[in-house]
Amino acid sequence: MDPDEVEFLGEKSMIEIVPTFNSAPIYFIGGDVGPFRASIPLRVPLWVAVHLKQQQQCKIIPPDWMDLEKLENLKEEEKSNRSFIKMPSEHYIVEAKLILGCAADDIPRTDEIRTIIKDIWDIRKSKLRSSMDQMIKKSAMYAAVDNLTLMEINSIRPLLPHALEQIYRIKSNKRAILNRTQGSVTTPSNATGSFTN
Amino acid sequence: MLPSSSYQPNYFSIEDILATQERTPCKFLQDVPRMGKLNPSAEEKDLKVGTELELPLWLVLDGAAGRQLILAPELPKIYREAYREILKADATAIDLHKFNLYFYELGSYIKHFDRRGDVHNILLHTFTTRFRLIMDLANNADSDPTIQNKLDTLERRLFKDGHNARMKLNTWLLESGIPLKAASMVDNHRKRKRVNEELV
Repeated sequence: MDPDEVEFLGEKSMIEIVPTFNSAPIYFIGGDVGPFRASIPLRVPLWVAVHLKQQQQCKIIPPDWMDLEKLENLKEEEKSNRSFIKMPSEHYIVEAKLILGCAADDIPRTDEIRTIIKDIWDIRKSKLRSSMDQMIKKSAMYAAVDNLTLMEINSIRPLLPHALEQIYRIKSNKRAILNRTQGSVTTPSNATGSFTN
Repeated sequence: MLPSSSYQPNYFSIEDILATQERTPCKFLQDVPRMGKLNPSAEEKDLKVGTELELPLWLVLDGAAGRQLILAPELPKIYREAYREILKADATAIDLHKFNLYFYELGSYIKHFDRRGDVHNILLHTFTTRFRLIMDLANNADSDPTIQNKLDTLERRLFKDGHNARMKLNTWLLESGIPLKAASMVDNHRKRKRVNEELV
């Protein structure tokens, strides 16, 4: 998947805005948005929010977690924890990028928030990398990917699945020739297992 | 999305053809009439039993198959004990490209000639230890582009896919007007400090 596709999925998450205009509800395939009353907050999909913000027709209220103190705590927790901790939002990186990108004036201390989110992202990426390496080295059968967000999972594609597939190929690559050199006629399945491990 | 590196050998697979033309030492177990031409060092018309030759793998595979064994294959030198020891010592330091362009592909054919499974194990070992190398390369390839010359064909393809995905992600992270970035102070460190050495 492209990061853009992940972004597209992330744009569906809801966010609170304060519109500066009045409008009847807008009907979309995915659901209705509105009605808009000036300075009455309401929840809309992120993409609507970004769109309105670009036209200067609303103020974006940042999600609860986009707060310096909470993010500091999150970062500390992420640092001290061996596994991944639960992120406040499944698409935190997408939301952060979009909101901070278009509505920097609605959020206090944007620069610091931007930096700290990137730090969290980097910490998680480095954890992800070392656990991938361990998984491959130990030829583990599975790995728990609890609390990984979609963008993070997507960032290890296609490398990890391809590598696992190649390992599988190396492991399972038993050809009929093995049986034939033994001079006996056996089904291919009988040959497997003799070399594995 | 089917991965492009989901590679299964088939009759028309160019890679398979290239991989199976590797010279493989083998010993004839029977006289083969009229095949003396295969042995350039002899003038005879027939191939005698006990002749040792290096033949392309695709020929050896067929000769070593079937009810009547015509020849007994041996391991090419890169899969023999001495080379296996090198791989065991530190697989990441090795220029696999020089070993063989199709180290893994060839290996998966060759390993059937080795009853004890040592070749199989070394293939697995080599791949798993070198994975970190590929992953790190894919993540920061701009640091030294020549280093990918050490990869064999299969690894190179993994590297390319990984690298493309990585580049896409990087562009995505940077493309908004105000990119998400680490603190400039952190960037100014030549090397970023690990957060907690034993954790990450």
